Amino acid sequence: MGRNGGDEEAEVRVLGLGNVLMGDDAAGPWVVEHLRAEYEIGPGASLTDVGTPGLDLVPHIGGARVVILVDTVKSSGEAGELRFYRRDEILKHPPGPRTSPHDPGVKETLLYLEMAGSGPEEVLLVGIVPGRVEKGLFLTPAVAAAIPVAAEAVAVELRRLGIRAERQGDAAPARPWWAGDEGSPA
Amino acid sequence: MSKRIVVDPVTRIEGHLRVDVEVDGGHVKNAWSSGQMFRGIEEILKGRDPRDAWLFTQRFCGVCTTVHAIASVRTVENALGVGVPMNAQYIRNLIVGAHAMHDHIVHFYHLSALDWVDVVSALKADPAKTSALAESLSPWPHNGTAVLKGVQDRLKGFVEAGQLGIFANGYWGHPAMKLPPEVNLLAVSHYLQALDYQRKINKVVTLLGSKTPNIQNLAVGGVANAINLDNEATLNMNKLYFVKEALDEVQQFIEQVYFPDVCAVGALYADWLPYGAGVKNYLAVPDFPLDEKGTKFDLPGGTIMNGDLGSVKEIKSFGDPYFKENVTESIARAWYDGDWQKHPYDEDTVPKYGKWEDDGKYSWVKAPRFEGKPMQVGPLAQVLVGFALKHEPTVRWAAKTLETVGAIAKTKVGPEILHSTLGRHAARMIRTCMIAEITQKHWKLLVENIGKGDTEIFRKPEFPSGEQRGFGFHEAPRGTLSHWIVIRDGKIANYQAVVPSTWNAGPRDAKGQVGPYEASLIGNPIADAERPLEVLRTIHSFDPCLACAIHTLDVEGNEIARVRLA
Repeated sequence: MGRNGGDEEAEVRVLGLGNVLMGDDAAGPWVVEHLRAEYEIGPGASLTDVGTPGLDLVPHIGGARVVILVDTVKSSGEAGELRFYRRDEILKHPPGPRTSPHDPGVKETLLYLEMAGSGPEEVLLVGIVPGRVEKGLFLTPAVAAAIPVAAEAVAVELRRLGIRAERQGDAAPARPWWAGDEGSPA
Repeated sequence: MSKRIVVDPVTRIEGHLRVDVEVDGGHVKNAWSSGQMFRGIEEILKGRDPRDAWLFTQRFCGVCTTVHAIASVRTVENALGVGVPMNAQYIRNLIVGAHAMHDHIVHFYHLSALDWVDVVSALKADPAKTSALAESLSPWPHNGTAVLKGVQDRLKGFVEAGQLGIFANGYWGHPAMKLPPEVNLLAVSHYLQALDYQRKINKVVTLLGSKTPNIQNLAVGGVANAINLDNEATLNMNKLYFVKEALDEVQQFIEQVYFPDVCAVGALYADWLPYGAGVKNYLAVPDFPLDEKGTKFDLPGGTIMNGDLGSVKEIKSFGDPYFKENVTESIARAWYDGDWQKHPYDEDTVPKYGKWEDDGKYSWVKAPRFEGKPMQVGPLAQVLVGFALKHEPTVRWAAKTLETVGAIAKTKVGPEILHSTLGRHAARMIRTCMIAEITQKHWKLLVENIGKGDTEIFRKPEFPSGEQRGFGFHEAPRGTLSHWIVIRDGKIANYQAVVPSTWNAGPRDAKGQVGPYEASLIGNPIADAERPLEVLRTIHSFDPCLACAIHTLDVEGNEIARVRLA
């Protein structure tokens, strides 16, 4: 536990959001897999592919001191562009009405936990503008190219927080189970 | 003159559930429920190893991960005609139980309570009076004046800082909000406490499943939880006691908080009891198997037709032909090529998007049918089937619920009130109380079985050549879930998932029979067409889960569901 993100109770939590079966929506989980494969992450941080949990994010964010979210974001930019947001920017616009358990997502989870007194002190969202979000196990080339860049952005943030996050030059690339034998994000 | 209201959330890249209602004279006259996104994720499974199917199916939906994993391994085991070792059955049941408790608590407190609870009104409550009221309802030790005053102060801080974000989408001050300030304050307090219990019970799933979401411990043929009481790394007594402690704490919350809260909301909104019944054909499948092959269960399943409890017909086993032979799906009113009604084994869907037509096709969701009839699924179906079959825990908890509601409302109420919007909330709570007991029982069965020296967790499945067909079901938090597989020479030739929200949210069929969401909305009152709170109340009571596929966060724009008058 502790090394390379096994400790789910860590005080710094890196959470990859998105559905691995839906094309570029898998960007968040891909970044988590990339960090696991190519980086040595010191104790104090965890890496989790949380899928599309809606309000089930509560257990993953609750009790954390710092949360680094990696997710696709709706933005005017080109596919593969990165966008960074801190807590106040994430919460600038209020969440919308709820229709299903998925609708309360990141914003509501942060607000619920703050109101209950167990919200994180710091939040960083590493956002990736998606290209194609539809059924499929592979990323578009622009988003695939953004994965290592987003992973390094997470590593920079971890180092700023005093957590070791070093890229291993000789590491084998990530081969997530869903991508089959090809094992490449593109 | 009639008015049309469209509730169309645009919270993600693609729309999900859209509901159209026609309102006349303050009541809903007609309704359409539409899934706005094509999924068809089953296609990804074709050609794969059936032993891997559960890994993919648990990614169908980010909230219902566990349930799709469980249904999938049961499906492949059914196709092969094999059972699983008892330890595997009990461990799966513990995960199923913990997941269900988690899901139901979240649904009531965090997804639907704000339909009934006016948060801002809680600021006007007297904490001492609130505490006295709470003590008249429950022995829960965390209802003291100081706790409630603390919650109120925190809420005040949020309001003053303009941070009412979580509640910004609530319809406070709406004329249909009826609870006194003290009840609202009590509900807000429990809403916050529920976050802790959600985390506690989730740890059970994490410990047994290795990870949440997306458990890692399943296998076709059993589970991967090695059992050795002398080994730190395996399932041992320490870990089992951790599970027991969490089950005890969460059971106390369910019985002393969730139970009285639902009874109080039901009693104080007694004027809502006549609304929201809709389709009174009910379908539930049995769950919490007590033997290797699934022929005995702790929760019963079956069907009820036309609301007549006397018509109950039991579904008795994992392979029951009554279930297998009677499920079909219709695409007559859905955006697929053709107008057939087929059995899941034989489906081959070709998407064909068209425009919305009230009298034609208007949804991506297919319309599942049982013996050709629309069926309501979910906790209400399960509780009514259990009640009709005289299942002891169901009868006991239902009686206790009706008695408590009657005492608070100062009137006598019978089981007929369960056919309603509020009845779905009551049934979900009744089911949660039963599952808290059953999960405890299965913990004990597991410990006793291990105590006998049985540590078997897995039997390696063999895949013969040729074709096998199988189905697996699970009574998930949202109701009957079934997966259907055709295996050819060890590979997946066809795979279909018929999910609970499809049963409930599905559109009309070739005969024009409306689906459960649609039927339940007809007759609902609408006080303010601009703020159709009543539509949300009824839809939320089903615990809809259609937005299954993707997650994209909209940080820069306003995430606002569109409510428009057409």
